[in-house]
Formats: sequence, C-alpha cells, structure tokens
Amino acid sequence: TAGNKIFHFGPCRIAMSVTEIRSGFTAIKANIQARDPIKTLSILSYPHSLHKVKSSDRCCIIHRLFNFYVDKVFKHCKTEDSYINRKISSIANSFLSVKRKLGQCHEQNKCLCGQGSAEKFQQILANYEGLNVTSAAIKSLGELDILLDWME
Amino acid sequence: EDALLPAPQNISILSTNMKHFLTWSPVMVQGETVTYSVEFQGEYEREHVNESWIPICECSRITATVCNITEDISATVAYNLRVRADVGARRSEWGTLKGFFNRITTSLTPPLMKVIADGYHLLVELQDMGPAFQFYVLYWKKGQESRMQHKLVKEVSSVIHLDTMEAGPDYCVKAQTYVEVINRSSSFSQTQCVRAQGGRSMWL
Repeated sequence: TAGNKIFHFGPCRIAMSVTEIRSGFTAIKANIQARDPIKTLSILSYPHSLHKVKSSDRCCIIHRLFNFYVDKVFKHCKTEDSYINRKISSIANSFLSVKRKLGQCHEQNKCLCGQGSAEKFQQILANYEGLNVTSAAIKSLGELDILLDWME
Repeated sequence: EDALLPAPQNISILSTNMKHFLTWSPVMVQGETVTYSVEFQGEYEREHVNESWIPICECSRITATVCNITEDISATVAYNLRVRADVGARRSEWGTLKGFFNRITTSLTPPLMKVIADGYHLLVELQDMGPAFQFYVLYWKKGQESRMQHKLVKEVSSVIHLDTMEAGPDYCVKAQTYVEVINRSSSFSQTQCVRAQGGRSMWL
C-alpha cells in the first residue's frame, strides 16, 4: 500500500510515506540520471557510503540531508518537461513535510548531532559544491534512491 | 476594445477517498468557446521557490469546468490552486481557490463490501479503492459482540477468508477504510450477516 512507514531514529519516531516518494522518483529516475553527465562522481557516497554512518548519527544525518534537499537541491532541478517538474514538486513537498517532523525531533533533542555526522555531512556538501549548481542538484536528485534505500 | 474576460468564480475542491477534483463555474461569452487552464502550488513552492506555480498540462486549455488534480496533490501539505479562462486572444485574470487544500481533509466513505458464506467459510469481498487504502474488518458471531474479531487487510486482491463458521449461528461483518498517509479512517460500513448451512451459500 502507498502508506506511511514509521521510522525509528533512536528516540525520534517519524511517519513517512516512502512509497509515495519512491514512486514519484521512479517515474523520473531514468530521465534525471540521463541528464547527469558525470557518472564517475557521487554526492552521497563519496568517499564512503552512507552505510558507514554510525547508528547514533543516523537521525542527524537524515535531518541534515532532508534540509539539504529542500533548501539546496530541488529548486535547481527545474526542467523543460512539465511532467518532470510536477513529479519533482511532489517529492519536494513530501520532503518538506518530513523535514518539519525531523525538525521537531531536533528541537526536542531527540535527533542530536555528533562529530561523525558533522564530518559526513561536510563531505557531502564538499562533493556538492565541487560541481556547478545545476549539475550538483541534478546529480543529487538522481541519487535519491541511495538515500531512500539507506533509510529503509 | 474587448471587454475584460472575467476570472472563473466559485472555485472549489471535491475530494472523496483521496481523489481530488478542482471545479469552477463556467465563464459565459456569447457565441464563443471558453477554455480554462489550471495551476497548483505546494507549500514547497511557496516557501522555497518564490511562490512559483506549476501548470497541470492535462488541464491546459480545456473546455470542461473540472480538473482531476489527484496526481499532483501527492503530499500532505497545504496546496494553492488557481484557474483562468481564455477566449481567442483574450485571457482572464487568475481565479484562486479560497484557502488552501490539504488532502488530510478528503472525505472517506465506508467501503463497499460483500460477505459470502461459502459452505462453512466466512469470506468477504472488498472494493479496491487504490494503493493508499487499507481495510479494518470486524466480524463476530451474532449476539457475541463482546467477542468481536478483527483483521487488517493491507491489500485487496481477491476474496478474503475471515473465519470457519459453525453451523447454525449468524456471523456478522462490518468494515472501514484506513488511509495511512493521512492517518484517518472512514466510518464503518453497514453490517452484513450470513449463516453457514451445509455446502450451500446462504444470504440473510
């Protein structure tokens, strides 16, 4: 079912409709990844994959990544294709509502940030800022399934 | 100089069982065909992309006064919607939905349900309402409401087996829908009761 899934990141409990996000992404994945000319680089997985993140850092990393996608990525992914833009809007609005829930966890000190998560996120930002904005945004969007797979 | 084309009025949302439609009153222009175009704006567009609007191409230059916006209302956030009219080269201002629309307000109706006694087997057939829907089914021996049993049906594929019945008593069933993404349920359907009798199905 296209339902919510309850994610437990330590004390932080988040209901998230991953199925809807994933189906929106699946609909545009091939198109978006085809627009990414730099196949040798990764934003999320270089030099280490997200799977190297300690479980205690997971909540913070996910919180920062959702902020990253909402604040930096989606807005630079506009295409000439109305269908693609509509799917990006649907993913972005879903991310926005999850970002808020993660923000509440953060405010309630249920999503604390340690040194490990700070370093990992800095690496992701460095990877992102190493490319021009549009290429970096399209590549990050194309890697959304890496984030979703890791979260699930 | 051509009179200004009035913007569409009475713009409203009809939303039932997670199917969302935007409707409006027709703009009347004598002897002309008026077409309409619809756009939407989610909270993300309002907060992060300079309040930009996104056209719905299936509802671009249509003559109908209704647009199915279900595909685009795919997050549980507040959406803005607007529609404008066109006649030839003349174009109206945008008419905007009063207030926002959030899918959490969709109205949920009880599911259509058919209870079957197949010999001693208590079966139920549920209407497929789409991937967002689950079903909460309650069933009990008539007169033993305190010993009600339940089953959560996450996917409707075919007939669902609820129980094996004893001969004689009536068995009753009712169901409600549950939509996880908005965390809401419908009211319960009418109760239906059946009774097992040998190998023959029996309706009451």
